[in-house]
Amino acid sequence: MLNRTNRLQILGLLMPGLTVFLMFTVYPIVRLFWMSLCDMSFSSMLSQPFAGLMNYREVFADRTFWTVFVNSIVYTLVTVPGQMVLGLFVAVLLNGIRHFSVTFRVINYLPVITSWVIASLVFRYIFNTEGLLNYFLWKVLHVTGGNIRWLDTRWSGLAVAMILGIWKGIGWNMVIFLAALQQVPQDLYEAADIDGCGSFGKFLHVTLPGIRGTILFALIELTIGGFNVFTSIKMITGGKPAHHTDTLLTWMYYKAFSTGRFGYAAALSFVMALTLGFMAVGQFRMMRLRDS
Amino acid sequence: MSRIWKRFALILALVLVLTAGAGLAEPVTINFWHHYSAQSAENETLMNVLIPAFEAENPDIRINAVSHEWAELHDKILVSANSGALPDVARCDIAWLPEFQKMGILVALDETMPDFEEVSERLLPSAMSTSRIGGHVYALALNTNSKIVFYNTAMLEAAGVSVPATLEEWAETVRRLSGENANGQQIWGWNEPALAGWNICPFIWSFGGTLLSDDQTKATGYLNSPETVKAVETFAKLVKDGCITGFNSGDIPMTDGFGTGRYAMMLEGPWKSAELAGAYPDVAYGTALMPAGTGGSISVLGGEDIAMFHTANQAAAWKFMQFMTGEFAETEMARCGQIPVNRAALESDVVKDADYAPFIAAIETAKARPTVAAWSEMDNGLQNAMTAIVSGEISAQSALDELASQWDELLK
Repeated sequence: MLNRTNRLQILGLLMPGLTVFLMFTVYPIVRLFWMSLCDMSFSSMLSQPFAGLMNYREVFADRTFWTVFVNSIVYTLVTVPGQMVLGLFVAVLLNGIRHFSVTFRVINYLPVITSWVIASLVFRYIFNTEGLLNYFLWKVLHVTGGNIRWLDTRWSGLAVAMILGIWKGIGWNMVIFLAALQQVPQDLYEAADIDGCGSFGKFLHVTLPGIRGTILFALIELTIGGFNVFTSIKMITGGKPAHHTDTLLTWMYYKAFSTGRFGYAAALSFVMALTLGFMAVGQFRMMRLRDS
Repeated sequence: MSRIWKRFALILALVLVLTAGAGLAEPVTINFWHHYSAQSAENETLMNVLIPAFEAENPDIRINAVSHEWAELHDKILVSANSGALPDVARCDIAWLPEFQKMGILVALDETMPDFEEVSERLLPSAMSTSRIGGHVYALALNTNSKIVFYNTAMLEAAGVSVPATLEEWAETVRRLSGENANGQQIWGWNEPALAGWNICPFIWSFGGTLLSDDQTKATGYLNSPETVKAVETFAKLVKDGCITGFNSGDIPMTDGFGTGRYAMMLEGPWKSAELAGAYPDVAYGTALMPAGTGGSISVLGGEDIAMFHTANQAAAWKFMQFMTGEFAETEMARCGQIPVNRAALESDVVKDADYAPFIAAIETAKARPTVAAWSEMDNGLQNAMTAIVSGEISAQSALDELASQWDELLK
């Protein structure tokens, strides 16, 4: 049993951390939720009258919201599996080699530490209407009869951001999966060998179940990351044409800081947080179903 | 015992010294936020010439000038308004003023400053129109700019066309200049880097169209008037025919395209001369006024105003604002490329010999975009509508009809 002095000691020791947590995490969330219930625009920035669910209604009635929501979902659905599959693939390859393992790890990890801004600018340069890719396709390989406007339409513009997202994410997945692969007990592989299992069979029946926890972790982290995409979109298309390539965060930023609709942006952030929450719960359930 | 007395005496002495200090006149500090970039000649002049001169004239006032990035300053003021940490005075983009006014954080100068009329008469009326919102004036014009036509001399000569003076000539010239160059690359007669009000308004106004009623309360009947529709249709047709580009994400950036002879003409501000001199010193170009239509030759006004926030020390802030818009400060800033709005400074030789002299004529007839708080949302709607129109998704008339009713809602 803890006595009174002990309890006070524990509380005293927790206080500094707890204070920081309350001030910088709990308070902003509560305040943001309150903002989402207030009419907070240029005309009411200082008074902030209570407006109930007005902002939420406006978010759901907004055509652009649905466009950017679908964009974020598609971005996540493409980039998360893309990064995981390629990251795992590289990790499995690296796990099997004896020489130059560190060199390959570094090479694969380089995109992760490259700045988003610089990588986005390079991708923009490659995919510009008169960029490197069109030059190769048209002038070198002669497969297209002219320049393709990669960045100027909704899906091709988003596709460029998705390719960047996948390219930049492979390294992180590789590191995570490489660590997980090394935790899979070696004797299971030996047992599988005795049972006459091939390499693919071993991957399917030993490796994948062995790293399930890591897969779930990566899945949730990357889903959150996918919904948080901002820099690449802002730099590559800037949401053009007419917000068709905006995602939830770029649209939220636009609404808050370009049009002063902080209430709308706050409501949007809660819609996004709830969506992510539901998705994470779904992902946990899915994994647990597999378990049983 | 004596130690205690000593301590007491010491504390007493300290308290006396501190309270005596409070009796003296402390200089007032005016916080001035601006977006002259930190490394620029403007900032240099502000910090080393203007502020020392002002402080010498007003020994009881200290100026604490803080430089921000343009976009950061806007966002910072929004956030500071909430947390009650606004500066006294700020240099604001003219587009921000209606928002700040609607937030109720600006001081109506014509109501509070007895000598306002006298001060404002020293400044250009077109520039002062940017700070008149709903019947009151919330800032002093600080510097201004507008856009004029830049044309690539060699490209016009090669195509055998002259500089367009009217909008009919303009459409024809843009068409004649477009096509392919000797290397088989596509060239465009006109570059327009975006489809916002800043880009489209000069066409709408020069074609004789309008955006809003004079009292800025109604868009239907103005934004979808035959003149506005005609302006937008003419523009969209040229885009469709491959004669205008620049607003797509994948397009060649404006300066590069103009410098390398891919864009023959563009409507741009005074900063473009410096950019071209830096990046493409060899390209030969000329400048001309916006081609005239039934509405005249009407370009769009840009620039900055200097405004006072409601939390300011008003007397000191007003002194500083008068100083910044006075002849001395405006002439000093004119040396760094800021186009003055002070009439006396405009008459000075500094301005007459400056690179931006051709812009002065454009500024006299140029118009400001609507000074309404919802402008950024309205502008966004305009961009979306223009994007849909130029891509052929919808006709100019129906897009503008729909936009006009949206604007009516936003103006309520």
